[in-house]
Amino acid sequence: MNKGTGIKVIVSMIGLDGHTTGGEVISILLRNAGFEVVYLGVNQTPEMIIDAAIQEDVDAIGISSHAANYSQIEALVDLAKENNVSDVPIICGGNIPPRQIEKLLAKGIAKVFIPGSKGDEIVDYLVSNSRGANAASAAKTSQAG
Amino acid sequence: MKRETDYGYEIKPVYTPSDIEGLEYQSDLGDPGSFPYTRGYHPNGYRSRMWTQRMTGGLGSSKDANKALKQYRKMGQTGGMCVISDRVFSCCIDPDHPLGRSEAGVLGWPGCSLLEFEELMEDIPLTGQSITLLGSSAPTALRLAYVVALAEKRGDDVSTVHGSVLESPFENFFGQTDVQPFDLNMKLFLDAAEYVVRNKIRMRASVISQHFQESGGNNAQALAIMLSMYKEICGLLVDERELDFDDVALVPYELVSIGSRFFEEVAKVRAVRRMWAKMAKEHFKAKKEKSCQLLIAVHTSGRTMTYQQPLNNIARCAIQTLAGAMVGCSALDNATMDNAYAEPSPLAARMSLNTQHIVAVETGVADVVDPLAGSYFVENLTNKVEEEAYKILHEIDEMGGLIAALDQGYVQKMLTQEADKKFQEIDSKERLVVGVNHLAIPEEEDDFEIPIQEVETNDSEAIARRMENWKKTRDMPLLNKCIDQLHTDAKKGDRFNLMPSIVEAVKAYGTAGEVMGVIRHARGLSYDPFNMIECPFELN
Repeated sequence: MNKGTGIKVIVSMIGLDGHTTGGEVISILLRNAGFEVVYLGVNQTPEMIIDAAIQEDVDAIGISSHAANYSQIEALVDLAKENNVSDVPIICGGNIPPRQIEKLLAKGIAKVFIPGSKGDEIVDYLVSNSRGANAASAAKTSQAG
Repeated sequence: MKRETDYGYEIKPVYTPSDIEGLEYQSDLGDPGSFPYTRGYHPNGYRSRMWTQRMTGGLGSSKDANKALKQYRKMGQTGGMCVISDRVFSCCIDPDHPLGRSEAGVLGWPGCSLLEFEELMEDIPLTGQSITLLGSSAPTALRLAYVVALAEKRGDDVSTVHGSVLESPFENFFGQTDVQPFDLNMKLFLDAAEYVVRNKIRMRASVISQHFQESGGNNAQALAIMLSMYKEICGLLVDERELDFDDVALVPYELVSIGSRFFEEVAKVRAVRRMWAKMAKEHFKAKKEKSCQLLIAVHTSGRTMTYQQPLNNIARCAIQTLAGAMVGCSALDNATMDNAYAEPSPLAARMSLNTQHIVAVETGVADVVDPLAGSYFVENLTNKVEEEAYKILHEIDEMGGLIAALDQGYVQKMLTQEADKKFQEIDSKERLVVGVNHLAIPEEEDDFEIPIQEVETNDSEAIARRMENWKKTRDMPLLNKCIDQLHTDAKKGDRFNLMPSIVEAVKAYGTAGEVMGVIRHARGLSYDPFNMIECPFELN
């Protein structure tokens, strides 16, 4: 499967959240689907994640959350705006309660994947919504034509 | 749908005497109370001592957590309390650290100073119940110091306090990390373990295969990792700290995860008892029978609690609790129906505790010891999981033990692969989970809302601000003196036990960030693991 070829994404935990399993499993899923994954791991501040996003020129940022520290995720959205990288969608996954999902979406998080989400759903979402997805699909169409 | 154990043993439709051929009752099982303790440690099981029925607590401020604990006591939790720390204390930084400000009290108890422990325990006895504090390895020495200091303040003889506040450093590799380096966590763990042995304090160390399993590891791997942790930890305490194994054996206890595959979970715990007993006798040459009896506490599996249709989790929790009870555990804390959302709400906590009470008094399970013994299926499964575990343990031994295996990335790779396998199995419906990949209902029909306990950022900030202001009110000359002593001692090498100077620093209200920061500094590390704040003390 190479749906994700040419798309580069960050997978990271945020703040003091030390739970790594979700992020690791998603990294495997995305790599197997052809994505280039920059796995940042634990102890990442919002600043570190945005710095990495800029330096690595990624097309999407994925935050694996298991520690309810949603204010850090909100700070990440603000920081993305300040650094003019709002075109890079930020996606979250994890055991995030419905009310927090609403708040995060209102804040500017592009999508939240709850536990039990299917692998294909996550892959397809990133293929269609990562930065430059429209341009890329247009390019693919024109190449095909 | 797969009909095999999580370690890949295919289950047959029926089991007969041929499946347990060669099983010798006395040498492989023994009566309850007899070596190799497959059937348990007490001839009369729960009739002589019921398991400790408890819930994990801790959220918001220490005063909030204190209220929750008092509530749990009213719900029948009197044998022991279990509090999990927040990520800030788990990492040994302080709530007023820039990274602590937004996470204090979020995922547990913000126990970063003796003051917090005093508030947590207000009007709650230190004695007469087991005191269990969990969260991560890094604060091990601090938690022990809190217990020693508070017992002293209250005039309780510390030898009358029992429970578990030490936590093995290996868990940092099992999907839940803190920020402190392994060698530092190991040093402080050994210091704390040596301190409890030499001072005859009945505080145990949790060795948590539960983390390994909750992060995806299978039953056979969990047994192998468990045994290899004991081999390392007990080996270091015997060889390096020059302690007697029969004293060391009373320190660790196992916190084991129990999922929904009922018979496999029962088999696993029976195998744990047998494997430990043999290791104690054959490898460590235990002289006392007590040393061959590993204390086992059960946590029912949080990872099996689904986000979808959370009421289904009550059924899962009941099945797992029944298995936990049936294996003869000494304590049990169960996951809750809201586990996939947040820390337990009062309703969810009551449901889970009542599940334990129902299993204890209504089902008759507690009347008979090891009721599944002799089942062709269960004995076969017990043998199988043990056999698979020994293969992995042998590989780890060949590598030079668990620390060497971790250095080579062997365990990390094993765990990630297994977590991925579990995800794939559900994704491809090889394993069915009701409400998730089987009989799922549309989101709009999933309309029964359970109460969810959420913590707001403002709460964290309040905890941070309180600490910031309180720090200024401390007896600074006394604190500086204790910090100086700790710093000096911390330069004396790994074998120099820091517990006495940590206890003094904690009594002078040195905080988690300060105590750990000063030790780090003495070891040539930065005071702050995140390099965001400066050391507030003048150190040589």
